[in-house]
Amino acid sequence: MKTTRKFWSILTLVIVASMMIVACGPQATEAPTSAPAVPTEPAMTEEPMTEEPAMTETAEGPVAGEIDCKGAAAGDEISMLYQWSGVEEEALNQVLQPLIDACGIVLRPESSRDQALLDTRVQAGTPPDVAFWQVSQLVQYQDQLQPMDALGADRSNYGEFFLDPMTIDGQWLGLPIKADVKSIIWYSPVNFDALGYTVPTTWDELDALVEQMVADGNVPWSMGFESGDATGWTGTDFIQDIMLVQQGPDFVNGIMDGSVSYDDAGVRQAYETYGAWATSDTYTVGGAQGTLSTPFLEAINKPFSDPPEAMMVKQSGFAGGEVASQFPDLQQGSDYDFFVVPGIQGLQGSVEPMMAFNDTPAVQALVAYLSSAEGGANWAAATFGLSPNMGASGNYTDPALQKLGDAIAATQGFTTDMGDTIPGGFGSAEFTGVTEYVNGGDLDAILSDLAAAQTTGLNP
Amino acid sequence: MNRDKINKFFDKLPTHVIILFTMAVWIIPTVGLLITSLRPPQAVGNTGWWTVLSPPPGAAPYSQYCASCHGADGATLPEADLSNPELVGQYPRSLQLLAALRQDINGQPHMGDIPLPSAQEAADIAVYLRQLSEIDASSQFTFNNYIDALVGYRGRSTYTADCAAGTQPPDINCNTSDLLNPRGMGRAFLNSLILTIPATILPILFAAFAGYAFAWLDFKGRFVLFALLVGLQVVPLQMTLVPISRFYAQVGLNGTFLGVWLFHTGFGMPYAIYLMRNFLGTLPRDLFESAYLDGASHWTAFRQLVIPLAMPAIASLGIFQFLWVWNDLLVALVFLGGTTPVMTYQISNMVTSLGSGWQVLTAAAFLSMLLPMIVFFSLQRYFVRGMLAGAVKG
Repeated sequence: MKTTRKFWSILTLVIVASMMIVACGPQATEAPTSAPAVPTEPAMTEEPMTEEPAMTETAEGPVAGEIDCKGAAAGDEISMLYQWSGVEEEALNQVLQPLIDACGIVLRPESSRDQALLDTRVQAGTPPDVAFWQVSQLVQYQDQLQPMDALGADRSNYGEFFLDPMTIDGQWLGLPIKADVKSIIWYSPVNFDALGYTVPTTWDELDALVEQMVADGNVPWSMGFESGDATGWTGTDFIQDIMLVQQGPDFVNGIMDGSVSYDDAGVRQAYETYGAWATSDTYTVGGAQGTLSTPFLEAINKPFSDPPEAMMVKQSGFAGGEVASQFPDLQQGSDYDFFVVPGIQGLQGSVEPMMAFNDTPAVQALVAYLSSAEGGANWAAATFGLSPNMGASGNYTDPALQKLGDAIAATQGFTTDMGDTIPGGFGSAEFTGVTEYVNGGDLDAILSDLAAAQTTGLNP
Repeated sequence: MNRDKINKFFDKLPTHVIILFTMAVWIIPTVGLLITSLRPPQAVGNTGWWTVLSPPPGAAPYSQYCASCHGADGATLPEADLSNPELVGQYPRSLQLLAALRQDINGQPHMGDIPLPSAQEAADIAVYLRQLSEIDASSQFTFNNYIDALVGYRGRSTYTADCAAGTQPPDINCNTSDLLNPRGMGRAFLNSLILTIPATILPILFAAFAGYAFAWLDFKGRFVLFALLVGLQVVPLQMTLVPISRFYAQVGLNGTFLGVWLFHTGFGMPYAIYLMRNFLGTLPRDLFESAYLDGASHWTAFRQLVIPLAMPAIASLGIFQFLWVWNDLLVALVFLGGTTPVMTYQISNMVTSLGSGWQVLTAAAFLSMLLPMIVFFSLQRYFVRGMLAGAVKG
């Protein structure tokens, strides 16, 4: 009797106490939540904003003229989600600064490379206004995305081959925002001069140059696969370039639409050409083990270290920035430079889309700005990779980017990375496949597994 | 007597060797990280952290090949002064240096009868000459990485260099207000504290109440309820992100600290209750019975008996929960995101998407380790006792 009464009294006490804590908790918490939230964010975002105009006007750079705010009012927010961080985030801020100055839009950026974050936000019904992500998300979220035409994007500033990957079932869903060229080979002109090598112009010349280097006792290639979950992507990039040399763009596009199977003899030939280099320690630093275990960023440095460990590295355009930050005293053009993979038919590259989940005046202003010629020019001036926007052409401040921009302008074709394009995990299967192959795996088995992954990816 | 001591020493030797080995395995990477975070990035690219105290690799070949004519400080020959940055600047790399060494000077071979250095030696000498002529900072250590991390500097050089040149990025003011820059570790440290402290206290508080109730209150279905609660531990956190995020969006808790506190409280409680109940269950029944006989209510018993006695369990739970919340990225990323960034979020965004800029990352990682280490060392004597909490029934 007595114990039950005591039990009830204690229970009510506990409940009351916990309710008090819950009730006080929020209030006690609201003080800290609102206290940091209110003064910090506006203060932090507005401080640069108010100081900004002075800075950009004095600084030479961005074109701030004709920006159409599309009726966005000062203080309108855009939430953004992207995978960039560090210096990249700084460069993006520089690109968007004229828009912020002109329209007073406040950016709410978030940066993560975890796709689960984007998926969670979209599934929870709170997607960001715009997301800068991969082409495959255009397919994944095609029902939630706002078409670019409706947002007022200017189609005339983009080449058709950039718009094709952005168009899903006839709808233009992604704004091509940042491109990179993969089909280039970095080398050191100083070393080439000192050793008497010349830049090859055909694949046979490249082959002969490689043999010449081996005969001279120099290691021609620096290769590095290691890249966390994506280990192997440098290999699949190289192999796709070899396919573009040996078979041409129709073959590669055929793989991407399923008309050419991944176990085709042409694929096999490209793997074998690549494997002959990647697994031999006279052709690449450290042989197969070196290729497998070297981080891809370290591989970029090897031809430029002193003394050089290798003569050439095949890597996308971003490698120039990596060399510049690792070796600040080297000059682009004389100490490090690149040539397009000789004999290649069209270029291999990647293009990243910006997609919009919400249609607000501020988002329209952002889309209009980025697709305008000024947007392209400011992107080029920020030294943040290549802009697919034609307005970028001729406005790059970085000579390497300018040269790449010219290569893009001159190319007849542009194929995307097949691993990024074929959905359903084919990309990571391809990474694993090439890693196994360099590690001594059976090529027939690897290619037939990949052909199966290709079929299931294309016909879900 | 003496023999006993020797025997004892040899008996314990394997234990000591294993302990020392384990300590080395854990401590060496941490020390390496600390040293790396204090070095300039170019130096890290050239040599490993374990070489910081040895002379630079170019010193030996320099004294072997060059010092006999140019002198140890490089300034012996006035017409070829190797401490002059303009002269050395013409030979930045081994290829240029070797070419110069092969040329004749005034009709005489440059090197006289000394053999040419090898490519590697020439490269080391080139680096050494750049330090000798002060083109490169010869200092082995720098605080720049820590400064850059604290203020959230994201440019291509360093915060101090940019501020001195006046070319800082727009969100940097070059004064003390930078310490509160929302992209810096300083600001994130505060956010992490605001997040972690309530998210540690709340689940422990509720778990102490619940543990007491499950251990010493007689009510119907208490074992079923307890089993159910403990069973809740199997619910994977990732599965609930979408539904909770959707619910939070409806009630306006997305992006607030309260939302994350509640989330961590919910997910911390099953284990906390389990541990507390098992610990409190081992306290002697007589203790409580005599307390009740003396007229103590459950509340008094809880406050005056349970809390002091359960301190080891509370402290060890506190360490677990604190470390878990402090090091958590996923929950903070989903529910707080970039508007109120915590330390883990900042660390993951220090490097670019390609992984460059890692030198700031080393410093940032060390900054985020500081507080957990302080917490651990100040609570560690409870930690060992708490590990055994509930393990022995007695």
